[in-house]
Amino acid sequence: MNPLRVALAVARKDLRSEWRTRELVPALAQFIVLALLIGNFGFQIDARNANTITPGILWLALVFAGLVAFGRTFASEREQASLEAMLMTPASPVAIFAGKALAATALLVICEAVLLPALNLFFGADISGDVVAAVLLATIGMAVLGCLFAAVVARTRARELLLPLLTLPLWIPFIVAGGLAVQSAMGLPGNYQQAIGLLIDFDILFVVLTSLAARFVLDE
Amino acid sequence: MSVIVADGLTHRFGAELALEAVDLVLDTGEHIAVLGDNGAGKTTLLRILATALRPTAGRLQIAGLDAFRERRRLRHYLGYVAHSPGLYPALSAIENLEFFCDLQDVNRTRAGEAVEIVGLGHMAHRRAAELSRGMQQRLAIARAILHEPRLLIMDEPNASLGSDAADLLTHVMRGRTVVLATHDQALANRLCPRTLVLRHGRSLGTATHLRVVQ
Amino acid sequence: MSSYIKASAAAVVLMLVAGAAIFLYAPTDALQGPVQRIFYLHVSSAIAAYGCFAVVLVGGVIYLWRENLIADRFARAGALAGVVFTTVTLVMGMLWAKPIWGTFWTWDARLTSTLVLWIIYAGYLLVRRLAEPGRQAARFAAVVGIFGFIDVPIVHFSVTWWRTQHPGPIIVNDALPPEMLAAFLFTLVCTLVFAAVLIGIRYRIETLQDERETAVAPAKVVPAHQPEAVP
Repeated sequence: MNPLRVALAVARKDLRSEWRTRELVPALAQFIVLALLIGNFGFQIDARNANTITPGILWLALVFAGLVAFGRTFASEREQASLEAMLMTPASPVAIFAGKALAATALLVICEAVLLPALNLFFGADISGDVVAAVLLATIGMAVLGCLFAAVVARTRARELLLPLLTLPLWIPFIVAGGLAVQSAMGLPGNYQQAIGLLIDFDILFVVLTSLAARFVLDE
Repeated sequence: MSVIVADGLTHRFGAELALEAVDLVLDTGEHIAVLGDNGAGKTTLLRILATALRPTAGRLQIAGLDAFRERRRLRHYLGYVAHSPGLYPALSAIENLEFFCDLQDVNRTRAGEAVEIVGLGHMAHRRAAELSRGMQQRLAIARAILHEPRLLIMDEPNASLGSDAADLLTHVMRGRTVVLATHDQALANRLCPRTLVLRHGRSLGTATHLRVVQ
Repeated sequence: MSSYIKASAAAVVLMLVAGAAIFLYAPTDALQGPVQRIFYLHVSSAIAAYGCFAVVLVGGVIYLWRENLIADRFARAGALAGVVFTTVTLVMGMLWAKPIWGTFWTWDARLTSTLVLWIIYAGYLLVRRLAEPGRQAARFAAVVGIFGFIDVPIVHFSVTWWRTQHPGPIIVNDALPPEMLAAFLFTLVCTLVFAAVLIGIRYRIETLQDERETAVAPAKVVPAHQPEAVP
């Protein structure tokens, strides 16, 4: 059977469920706005320091919103025992995983569509196409890793605790390279081209590794 | 031909022994009921037979294939109604089935047929969350027969099904080899000529039309 | 005396001899003074930690490939020993950094990646504890171990590329006086032996624990009420 068709069916199912219930995205958007609020009080942001601090706030908000989003995508399957039902079909576990990751990525991109304009609105940060490109590239790698470990912790105890512990260390390369790309795009020192090149390398590496590992995580 | 040949199936969760050395041979078209109290190991046994859980020890052959080495090939052969329905609450009954048609690689028209078989035709466009527990159970049964499996494994399918449970189950069991776990002795006797009794994870043996003496 | 006790005794004696080499044989560093003596065990335990995590990596790959329980036990043993050596490395490094750099911690590439290393394998040990024991825990942990091992050089590289102030590898470009080099190599060998013994003992403990969990249950008791077959 065509794995692409399976992945798209799974992603469409997840996005349709989210569209009907509107549970995750509004909560994440609200969470992001709150993160900006906390950032504002924590760092005393004003017109002079906005461009040096906003990249950091961007990644903090994104990382924590991502953890919630990826955690939910497998936790809800687990709670409803529907993951097992999917795995009982002839569909390939890797294709099912890809579908889940695709949907989670789409949800996170929607959150970014809230986050980036909000950074501009509240802090006057300069959100150029370069910034958007860097954030989207980092999202790909973060999403595959986040979903892989979300699938792991969905079947362990204390999953809310374990997901950040496993995922955050693996996200560091994306945050370092993405952070540099965003900084340089906002006019701080840094080599934008090189950072984007690194992000692409990391994306390729972790997409390949994750697709190899997904079978072992999902299959019984 | 034997559909299921299970030999010494044993499963432990950590230090806890859930199932111990259960043997079972089931021929084509046979219906067997697995009886036992809560915690007797029925669900563990059924999950293993459905290849959803790998036993800690023991061998299992389904349709002549090693059930765990070739479990992908058995997917088309086997239908499983798990203990919890495992539906997507935000999707309608028919959308749930259509999604699984895609994963099973069968035509989506099967979703419409299956929903009629379990008597949910009039509720097809209701969200799964709005269905009663019994209707969700019917939907789970419909999902398990989408791909016309030859072997059907059902874990307490009669739970909250209502008065016509036996008729519905008789209908979906027709022409298939069936393993059915239940509490309901009367239902088991009505539907299945054979019975396997589990107690504390051990098989007390199978019998034909047995009566448990308490 | 069991071979485990003998091996442990030998490893402890070797470490004591290494201590003597560090404090009595090796000369005091002209610039850094006695603090420099931290270097011997610090670098040795860092190398031992990497060795342990290599065991976790290889064990994990073999387990995923072959479902070999022995490989998984070695991976478990390696992770625990590796976390211990990483802890030693970090603590000794901080003790050295305070007088030399004037601060316990700085976000340079090697420090950051070593901290990440520690966090990843502490996570590995947590997965083992929180997942359903057996196949699932072994598989999940193997994935964590493999991703962790690949991630650490990448973290190192990405932070290096950012900024670094950790002393470079001075062993390779013969900047080290011969006595210091001899003391270092001796400490390194002793630490690696010590690590191997730790892994061996831990392997034995894991084996015993596995055996206890899958111990043969007591003989079947014939139930009082046999179901009665009705013709």
